[in-house]
Amino acid sequence: AESVTPESLFLHALCTFFSCSSWLPQRVPLQGSHWQSSLLDLRTSLPVRAQPKKKKKVDVKKEQAQKERMKKRIKKLEKAAPELIPIEDFITPLKYSESNRVRSLPALSPEESERRVLLMKKWCLFKQKQDEAEKKAIKAVVESQQEALKELRLESEELYQAAIRRDEGLFPFQRDGPSYTPPLPGYDPPEGKCIDITKVYTQ
Amino acid sequence: DALLGCHRSYRSQPTHGIGKFKYLLPKEGPKKRKEKVQMKEISAGTEYQYGDVNIQMTSYDLCLVEHFAQYVHRLCNRLSIRVNESYAMPTKTNEVLFLEERGSKMQLDAVLTTHQRVVQIRGLSSTFAPILLEIIQSSQPEGVHLLVKQHTEADFKSRLKSRPELEELLSQMS
Repeated sequence: AESVTPESLFLHALCTFFSCSSWLPQRVPLQGSHWQSSLLDLRTSLPVRAQPKKKKKVDVKKEQAQKERMKKRIKKLEKAAPELIPIEDFITPLKYSESNRVRSLPALSPEESERRVLLMKKWCLFKQKQDEAEKKAIKAVVESQQEALKELRLESEELYQAAIRRDEGLFPFQRDGPSYTPPLPGYDPPEGKCIDITKVYTQ
Repeated sequence: DALLGCHRSYRSQPTHGIGKFKYLLPKEGPKKRKEKVQMKEISAGTEYQYGDVNIQMTSYDLCLVEHFAQYVHRLCNRLSIRVNESYAMPTKTNEVLFLEERGSKMQLDAVLTTHQRVVQIRGLSSTFAPILLEIIQSSQPEGVHLLVKQHTEADFKSRLKSRPELEELLSQMS
C-alpha cells in the first residue's frame, strides 16, 4: 500500500481540477498556503480525502480480526494432546473374535503324552545349557576386557583415558539378519514395484 | 454432644445417618486421568556413557521380531542396563507387484507387512557397548534387520498422528 497523505491527494485532486476546468479565472499556482481555497475546492477535496481512510480502517480491522480468529483456532488445536498412532499388530481383526467354532483335538495315548513330556524336558535342558554358555561367554569377555584395560593403564594413562571414552562412530549401527540360503547366482528377478499402502492416521 | 449442639433438630434423632453406605465400601484411589503423551527428556549422556539409545528391530515376520525384542529386553534386564521404554512402531503395509513375462499388466504378487519393535536403553557404558552389540548380533534371527542409533525428537514425533489442520494454520500464520 502506498503511503498516501491527505495533503498529497488534495494537491493531486486540485491539479486535475485545475487542468480540466477552463472556466476558472487565472489562478495563482499553489505556493505554500493552499488552505485558503475556494468553496469549490473544498467540496471536491472532502470526498477524495475520506475514501482512502475508510479503506485503511476496514482493511486493518478485518485483518486483525482474521488473525485473532486464526490464533484462537491454533490455540484450540494445540490444547488437544497429540495421540500415538494405533498399532495394527495389537488389534485382533473382528472376524477372528466373532465366530464360535472350537477346534476338537484327538485324545492322546499315554505313550504319546509321555514322549512329549520327555521331549519337553530335553528341550528345557538344552535351552538351559545354551543360556548358561551365553552367560559364561559374557562373563569371560567382560573379564578379559577389564584385564586388558588394567594392563593398558599400567602401560600409559593417556591411552587408557582415550580407550575409556565413548565412540561417536559406533551409532548408527546397522546389520541385516542372516539368510537361510545364499543368493542364487545369475538370478534374473522379474520387474516390479512396491506400493506403500499404510493407512495414514490424522488427528 | 456435637449432634445435639447444632440447631438442626433432626441431626440428634436416632435415624441420623440412615441410608449412608459409602463408608462401608473400600476406598477408591484418586481418579485415573488420561496421561498426556509427552516426550520424555532425551539424555545426551556423559563422555563415558551413551545417552538414550534405540535398538530397532524390523522384519516381515511378526512372531520373530516380537520374540527377539523380548529377548533383548530380558538381556538388558539381566545385565542391569536401564530400559526406558519398549514399544512397537506402527506397521507398514506394502503391495508388491511384478510385471508378467508376456504382457504389460502388473500382477499383484503379495501384500507384505513390515513390523518394527524398539527397545530404548539409557546409561550404556562405553566399554560395554561393543560387547552388547556382539551378543545381540550373535543371536539375531533370520530376516530381522537390526538398527542401533541415538534417540532423537524426530523418532518420537514419528510415532504421533499427523495434524494437517494445525500445520496448515501455522504455515498460514507465518
